[in-house]
This record gives sequence, C-alpha cells and structure tokens, in this order.
Amino acid sequence: MKIRWNLIIVALMVVALFVAAGCAKKTTTSTPDETKVEVKDDTSWTPPPAKPQVDEAALAAEAEARAKAEAVEELSSVTIHFDFDSYVLKEEARAILALKANIMRKYQDVTVVIEGHCDERGTEEYNLALGERRARAAYEHLVILGVDPGRMKIVSYGEEKPVDPGHNESAWAQNRRAEFVVQ
Amino acid sequence: MKRIPISLIGCVCAVLFAVSAFAAGPLTVDIHGPGQRMVNLTILPPRGLEGAPVPEAEAKALQDLVTNNLSYIPFLKLVGVDQLLGGDPSTGVTGADIDFKPFQLARVDLCMTTGWNGEYIEARVYETFSGNRVVGKSYRDVSQNLPLVADRFCSAFLEALTGKKGFFDSPIAFVRQIGKSKEICTVLPQGRELKQITNLGEYNLSPTWSSDGSRIAFTHIGKTRHELCVYDSATNLIKRRYKGLGSTIISPVYSENDKLFVALNRNGATNIYGLDRLFKPGKPLVESPYIDVSPSFDRSGKKLVFTSSRAGNPHIYLLDMETGRISRVTTTGKYNTHPCLSPDGRFVAYTHQTSDGHRIYLHDLQTGREKQLTFGPGNDEYPAFGPDGYFVAFASNRTGEYKVYLTTRHGDTPKLIPTGKGAAFAPAWDTSLQW
Repeated sequence: MKIRWNLIIVALMVVALFVAAGCAKKTTTSTPDETKVEVKDDTSWTPPPAKPQVDEAALAAEAEARAKAEAVEELSSVTIHFDFDSYVLKEEARAILALKANIMRKYQDVTVVIEGHCDERGTEEYNLALGERRARAAYEHLVILGVDPGRMKIVSYGEEKPVDPGHNESAWAQNRRAEFVVQ
Repeated sequence: MKRIPISLIGCVCAVLFAVSAFAAGPLTVDIHGPGQRMVNLTILPPRGLEGAPVPEAEAKALQDLVTNNLSYIPFLKLVGVDQLLGGDPSTGVTGADIDFKPFQLARVDLCMTTGWNGEYIEARVYETFSGNRVVGKSYRDVSQNLPLVADRFCSAFLEALTGKKGFFDSPIAFVRQIGKSKEICTVLPQGRELKQITNLGEYNLSPTWSSDGSRIAFTHIGKTRHELCVYDSATNLIKRRYKGLGSTIISPVYSENDKLFVALNRNGATNIYGLDRLFKPGKPLVESPYIDVSPSFDRSGKKLVFTSSRAGNPHIYLLDMETGRISRVTTTGKYNTHPCLSPDGRFVAYTHQTSDGHRIYLHDLQTGREKQLTFGPGNDEYPAFGPDGYFVAFASNRTGEYKVYLTTRHGDTPKLIPTGKGAAFAPAWDTSLQW
C-alpha cells in the first residue's frame, strides 16, 4: 500500500514537471511576413597563385643592382679632407681615392662631379681657386688610378657650401673637403 | 736814403697783401693729403623766394635727405642753428642776406641756404669767412624728385669741396644672400635705389662694373660648372658663357678699354686671362703653376694688382702692363688677398688676415708704407675703392651678419650702407663718373 502511494506521488511530480516545462517554452517569437534575405556574391573565383619559380638571372641582376647602389653610396658618401690653405692629398685621402677608383673602374657607366670646398677663414675668390685645386687633385689622382677623365667633372664652391656651419677648428676641418656627386 | 725804407715798406705791404689774398682762396678739402681737416657746416632754415610761402613738409623732407647724405662725409660736421649766437643770422638766401660774423664766432666754415617758390628751389653753400659762394644750384619739379635733388646737390657740393664727383650718384654692386642662393644687387652708397639685378639661383659672386657703368660681369656657380655672366643695364639681359673657359671662372674685371679679364684654369693652374669680344681667352697675362686670382686695374690700365700663391702663401703682386714686370707688394703676414687698386694707381687696399680675423689694409705704392684701415671685430673683407679714390667700401660681419660699410683711405669710422634684408658681400663701385 505504501509502495502504491509512493508511485502515485512520483507520477504526480512527473506530471508537474511536464506542466512547468510547458509553461517555460511559451514565448512570443514571431517571424515577419514576406521577409526575404538575398545573398549576393560578386567576387569571382581566382585560382591560387602559382608557386614562384626561381629566376637565377633576375636574382643575380637584383644582387648586382644592390651592390652597385651600395658602391655608388660609398662613392658619394665618403669625402676626403685637406689641411688649411692646402690641396695636397693626405695618405688617408689617397686610400679613399683608391677605393673610389675601384668602384669607378667596375661600374663604367657611373659619372661623377668632384666638388672642391674650403672653410670660411679664407677669402672668397682665393677659396674658389683653392677649392678647384682640391677637386683637381682628386681628379688627377683618380685618372692615375685608371679612371676615364671623361667620366669626371670638376666644380669649386669655395666656402659657399659648408657641411658644418660652426666657427671652430672642428667645423673648419670638416669643411675643407672634396665631395663626389654621382650623376 | 729815405727812398729805400719807403720802397721797402711798400714791398712788405705788397707781399702781405698778396699773402692775405692767397689765404682768402676758396675753401677746399684735400682728401688725398696726408690728413684731412674737419669742416663745420650749418644748414639754415628754408626761406620763401619773392614772398612765396615755404612748403614745410617738402622743405623738411629735403633737409632730412641732405642731412643724411652729408652724414656719409667723414670730414663734414653739421652744426645746428641754435649753436649760433643770436640764432639764425640770415634774412634771405643770398650772401648779401647773411650776417657771417656769428658763424665765424662759432667756428662754422660753411652755411647752406634753400629758397622755395612752389616747385622751384635754389640751394647755395657759402664760405663764412670770405662770404664766397661755394656752390649754387636751382631745381624744378622738386616735390616729385626730392631724393634726386638732394643727391645732385650734394654731389655738386662735394665736387666743389674736393674736386671729385660722383659719390652720391655712383651705385655699388654687391652680393646679397636671398634664402640659400646669392644674387647680385645694386644700391646707391646712401642706401637708396636698392635693386636686384639677377634671379639665377645658386651662387652669383664677384660683381664688377664696365668702365662706362653699363654692364656688370660676375661669376655664376651652378650644380656642375662655373659660368661667366654679363648683365647689360640697357636691355636688362644677362649673357651666360662657359664654353672654352674651363672648369673655373673666377674674379672677372674690366680694364680701361672694357676688355674683360678673368682667372681661369685651362691647364691645371689658375691664371689671369684676357678675353676677346667673343669671350675667347688669349694667352695668360702671367703664366705660372700657382693660383693667380683677383685682378684689379687702375684707371689708365697700366697697372694691375692680383693675388698669387707663388710665395707659398697668398700675397699681393703688382704687374706693370707695359713692361710685364711683376713685383711683390705685401711682405708681412701669411694671407693677403682681394686687392683693389685705387683709380689713380697709387694705393692698394687689400684683405690682411690677422689672429683676430681679416682686416682691410692700405699699401702706398709710392712710399711702400702700409696702414690698417679697419679694426673689426669679426672679419672685414672685400675692399673696393670709390670713383674718387677716397671712399673705400668693404663687407664686415662685425654685427654677426655680413653687411657693406664705408670708410675712407684715411680709415675713418665705418658707416653702414643700408642694403636691405639678408647678408651682403663683395661691394664693387661703379667708377664711370670719374672717367
């Protein structure tokens, strides 16, 4: 008898659970009438890129171009310096010019303008002549080292284009120079 | 016997009369003498002519212009009317209208009068001790041309005093910094009529005048070459030449017959060449393996001074154009450059490097004596004689920025020439009015 009452109680609990679950699902969701969702895709299909093939000639040309660019950079970025009122090439300048000569011999299509510069202590016209002598000293040394003179031009700026605008020995030493401008 | 003393007394009286007559000669200033005297001048208030009213504004403007002009003359000192005993001692503009005694008491040597009648004026300067007129001029259409009237009158006045003309009418060419480039400009020494004549960019340097003042030659430095340029004031055009002139074109100068000379490097050494009318170089004036630059002629074209490094350092040399003989001018110091020969060929002004910077020196070719004309501070460079051989223009950075100044061959206190905004270098004076 006792077991029967237990079964009845369990059955009632199950029924109560079902009733409760039915109430929870009672929501007010609704879909609008005649709503259409259109999906368009205009992109065309493109095949995946082909696996690049190794072009040895292009790589070599690229490497050569890079090497030339670096050489040209070295040719134009390194200047040579002089003592006051002097156009005598110092040992350091000769070593730099030897490297420049190598570059110019290797790259025959490179042409340069050699600029001669002075510090501010001299006077303008004499400095223009002195700057010319400095540029010419570099030019003639490069000719001796085998560079075609037709690939080089000389121009003197005298004291007009200082790299260091200071008024001290350090600035003056920087400004007494010959520069190489690749055309 | 009594006749002898009488005749002696007569002779002494005659001599005294002659001496006093000589002493009463016209007042002049020997600007080329060993020294120079100071001359005091009073400008009297303007007066109306024939009862006409004085236009106060114009009269004051003219007086200010004349006062400014005369402030450039180092031997002239202006003395105000208030310094005279009893004030203005004049009743008119002519000598008969002036009581000169107050001037003599105040040690004033000269007085200036101006008379106005509408657009017409009369301007005079009198010596106060003799009452003689030094200069007298009249001008019409004055109000529209006040600066021109002031310049013309002051030029005539200076010419009457010194025998030299052209100071206020002779422009100075110079190099002016405009942004990163340097252009050629001209200005009158009293700072008027500033004019930019080039707009080529880069660097335009070393201007020099032709003997008639119609052209200015200069060096243009571009990215890859030097060019020789000639500006023609008649057409406002610039001719540019570089072919056949080599890589370096420095310090052009005209000789007395307007032949151009320039320092070129045609065979490894910078030497001075004459150019023909087609700008073709002939043989070098002096062939040397050294640097020869900055030629400067006298008015006759018989003497040339230049800078050369033939002694190891740059020094000044003199070339006799008739004999070809070269002699060294400077012997002291280690860096003497940029010489300018006076028009009469006697003096060389040049830049001498000292431990305190560059200074302007003067070398007398007759006596060999040297004199320091400028004393800084900073650098004093680029000396250039004026048309009278008395004034010397130069550039100095004594105030921090290079500007153009005036001194004299006696080394008078430098006076700034107004050249507008930007640094100013390398003055070169038009000397055509002295030819």
